[in-house]
Amino acid sequence: MTLMWLLVALAIVPVAVVPLTGAMGRRAGWPLAVAFLALAAAMIPSAREVLDGGEITQTIAWLPALDVNLALRLDGLGLVFVMIALIIGAAVFLYSVEYLDEGRQLGFYLWMTAFAFGMVGLVLADDLIVLFACWEITSLASFLLIARSGSGAESASARTLFMTFVGGLTLLIAVVLTIVATGTTSVSQALTSDVWSDRPAFAAVVAVLVAVAGFTKAAQFPFHPWLPDAMAAATPVSAYLHAAAVVKAGIYLMLRFSEAFSDVLVWNVLLISVGLFTAAMAALFAFQQHDLKRLMAYSTVSQLGLITAAIGVGTDKALTAAVLHTIAHALFKSGLFMMVGVIDHSAGTRDFRRLPELRRVMPWSFATVILGTAGMAGIPPLLGFVGKETILGSMLEAPGPEWVGMLALVAAAAGSVLTVAYSAKIVLGSFVDGERAKVCHGPSARLFLPAAAPIWAGLPLGLAVGVLDLPVERAVQAMGGAEAYHLKLWHGLAPELLATVAAVAIGAALMTQRRALYRVIERPLLPGTGADALERTFAGATEVGRRIARSVAADHPRRHVVPPLMVLTLLLGLGSIAILTSGDVPATQPDLWRPIDIGLLVLIALGVAGTCLADSRIAATVSLGGVGIAVTVQLFALGAPDVGLTQLMVEVLTVLVIMMVLRKLPSRFGSSRLRRPGALVVLAGGVGLAAGLGTWLLTGRREKSAPADYYVSEGTTVTGGDNLVNVILVEFRALDTLGELAVLGLAGVAIVAVLATIPARTLDPPDKPRNLPLRPVSTLADPLAQAALSDPQSNLRAMQLLLRVLVPVLGVLSAAIFWRGHNEPGGGFIAALVGSAAVALVFLSRSDHRTVGSPRVHLALIGGGVLTALATGLLGFADSSFLQPLYGYVAGTKLSTSLLFDVGVYAAVLGLVLVAIDRLGGAPPEVPAEHPVDQEGAT
Amino acid sequence: MTVLPITVAILVAGGTYLLCQPGLVRIVFGITLLSHGANLVLLASGVSAWRGEPLTGTGDPSDAGDPLPMAFVLTAIVITLAVTVFMLALARIGHDDDTPHMPDTGENHRT
Repeated sequence: MTLMWLLVALAIVPVAVVPLTGAMGRRAGWPLAVAFLALAAAMIPSAREVLDGGEITQTIAWLPALDVNLALRLDGLGLVFVMIALIIGAAVFLYSVEYLDEGRQLGFYLWMTAFAFGMVGLVLADDLIVLFACWEITSLASFLLIARSGSGAESASARTLFMTFVGGLTLLIAVVLTIVATGTTSVSQALTSDVWSDRPAFAAVVAVLVAVAGFTKAAQFPFHPWLPDAMAAATPVSAYLHAAAVVKAGIYLMLRFSEAFSDVLVWNVLLISVGLFTAAMAALFAFQQHDLKRLMAYSTVSQLGLITAAIGVGTDKALTAAVLHTIAHALFKSGLFMMVGVIDHSAGTRDFRRLPELRRVMPWSFATVILGTAGMAGIPPLLGFVGKETILGSMLEAPGPEWVGMLALVAAAAGSVLTVAYSAKIVLGSFVDGERAKVCHGPSARLFLPAAAPIWAGLPLGLAVGVLDLPVERAVQAMGGAEAYHLKLWHGLAPELLATVAAVAIGAALMTQRRALYRVIERPLLPGTGADALERTFAGATEVGRRIARSVAADHPRRHVVPPLMVLTLLLGLGSIAILTSGDVPATQPDLWRPIDIGLLVLIALGVAGTCLADSRIAATVSLGGVGIAVTVQLFALGAPDVGLTQLMVEVLTVLVIMMVLRKLPSRFGSSRLRRPGALVVLAGGVGLAAGLGTWLLTGRREKSAPADYYVSEGTTVTGGDNLVNVILVEFRALDTLGELAVLGLAGVAIVAVLATIPARTLDPPDKPRNLPLRPVSTLADPLAQAALSDPQSNLRAMQLLLRVLVPVLGVLSAAIFWRGHNEPGGGFIAALVGSAAVALVFLSRSDHRTVGSPRVHLALIGGGVLTALATGLLGFADSSFLQPLYGYVAGTKLSTSLLFDVGVYAAVLGLVLVAIDRLGGAPPEVPAEHPVDQEGAT
Repeated sequence: MTVLPITVAILVAGGTYLLCQPGLVRIVFGITLLSHGANLVLLASGVSAWRGEPLTGTGDPSDAGDPLPMAFVLTAIVITLAVTVFMLALARIGHDDDTPHMPDTGENHRT
């Protein structure tokens, strides 16, 4: 199986999860486990090739313009991590089926599989951009997995996201610097570049950035708090993320880049010191915990610290140790996490202080946990022992004088003492020390077996550690290692063995006095936790942000609008004057205006004045409508019938929507609130003057443009349509129209979404509207007016009768306009607006404020419209490119797929108008008793 | 001498005046006026000397108006409709369209 197919298969899995969980619920874990194992098996031929010393590469051009390729490479290092991700993943899925509650569990399986995709992509990526993208996928997926685990997990997941994104940022900087310096985006070429040895200072900077990225994911000090925090997630999530995947992504990154940085002193010092400090610190924290799962989390941090330190040493032996212990840790830690779930399920608690003596009830679990913790503590003959031994031994190879290595070994051994202690605490605390009285049941085999399998695998692998020799050697070679370090269970009496023996002896001795020790140690050592510190940072940053936001708050649009308008006015006004004084201005075309323009100018001026000065909202609306009609006539006078028709229909619908909204608002604007009206008049005058000056200076001074000539002479020949504006909209510049449809559709969706999120008491407050003077109908002088207003329903009769005729006429008209749009004024927009007008009339004639169709239909129209337009665009690929129209002859008429595009336009526009009417045209505010009317209407 | 720039100036001045008012409905009216002005600027860029309808087979092709700005304006009009309707939907929240007075949206952010 090629690498690309592996990734494609892993990308399909999350998609398949949706129907799978729908059909099987939590049992979807079974087919998923089978799929992961099958994928691992399918990789065996490739694995064999890699073990034979080869490497597999595959490249597909992704962004050729930027020289970014979807380059994949499988070498020894990648193989180890791919296999960990797939096989541990399969075990976790098997376990999840039994562990999770009944139900669909879509989120869990979806994000777990997406996570596996990101992890494998990260490991296979041979392109720095791809590597970074996959890194972020794993960040996001782990965030989502933690966030879905209930309300307690929300803040924990946010902290995790914050930490991992810090690392994402430093990785991004490192990647960009690397690409700029080495001139390639290829991981393998960049890492072997001469840049690292030629420019040591640069290498040091990038090394620190990569190390920080690695620390955030691998939970190294000071970025460790997220990992214990993330224990809020479900146990299978913890088992996968914190033993096999997320944290291993950090380890992988550091291992991969050690090829370039193993000789950079900053890298060695940083990784060794932080790694060893983290190992000891987290071991201490682990020993303090009451909660079994939190203990496991801290122990993960501690173990990763050891691996990090080994990577920092960077010799062949140290890298061998790091890879081996990564494998060992993935096995025993995933198993132990799952065993925590087994204990939790059986005993109903994970707290040592409440756990009963489980060894009699769950002997097999007892044995398994002993085996797993023994591996963790580094006791022979388990795989964990070999890994830990090799790490301890490699500490002696730390760069610098001999005492550095000794110091590192002692520090690591000190951490090991605590590791032995907390490992013993796990076993004793959950199986031995508790009270006997409590009744609990043993685990089911289906829950127990997947949890135990990775742990038991550590025994034969430890005894016959030679089988791992070749894979680990290939992995080390992939990191530029030359000489293989052969793995053995028995090394003879080396210093590291003495260290292990000492650690086990001291640890065991400590645990004999454990009751006294617990009393001393099980209390907070520090005034606060890392999570608290992070929360304080968040709060501080939020406060700073709030202060900044206050200065630009959205409560006065003027604040945002005035400065840009002033700048624009100055630029346009002064620029125009500068051009004029230079004298180099072409003459205007003759005949730019017609007499009708002057008449329209007067009407528009009157309308604008009315809109601006009116205090009554209705009067302002009428004036605005007047301006709209005058502008429409102006559009017709400019020879743009399509534009004019569209404007006319839009005008009608806009006024309709305004009237619906005005019903809810005070009848007057109340203009007293404006503080400096004089300044505003000056500003408005200035902006208007500048706009007019610019328009006069910059338009009407040239011959016909080349595009205009092209469209007029060739447009019809190319498209078969006579209406040039329409063919530009749906064929030549259909992409613009597609964008516009998206805006239109989103406006509709946004209206629904915004209004749906606002509680009813805010949307329509129960108290009486302010500033709406009402008096009873009975006080009206005119009896006819009284009758009409007290029975508004009867006023609709005439309209209802009229609509019986009008609606079919409008429907036919809409269809006709749509059809003729290609050749004569019309088209999808105008036709849809005519259709919308019919819908609006139907709404107005109804007495019960119901609109046409359900809200679901409206949104479906919008979505369907945009999708139809998109699909038409994709059809274009059949010929040459996106949105390329295809032509065909039906019964002698030249037809184009752009007609289908226009259908999309029609549906989206209609959908938006329906949404607007539906959402804004609901029942008016409750009318007080005795049918009062608006005073204005009466006088 | 030409008339369109004066029309544009009046529409833009009125639009700016309304845009800076407190109260969302007036702001929406301002945006409507501004977009009328902007649309006329776009059409003026096609040179208002040629005012024939850009329909092949009707009238003299040498007198036909530039169809490209017309297509732009048509798009702009529909987008204005979308924006206007959305802003009007926001104006209907609560009893008032005051911009200085934020309606309580039920979200527990401090403002």
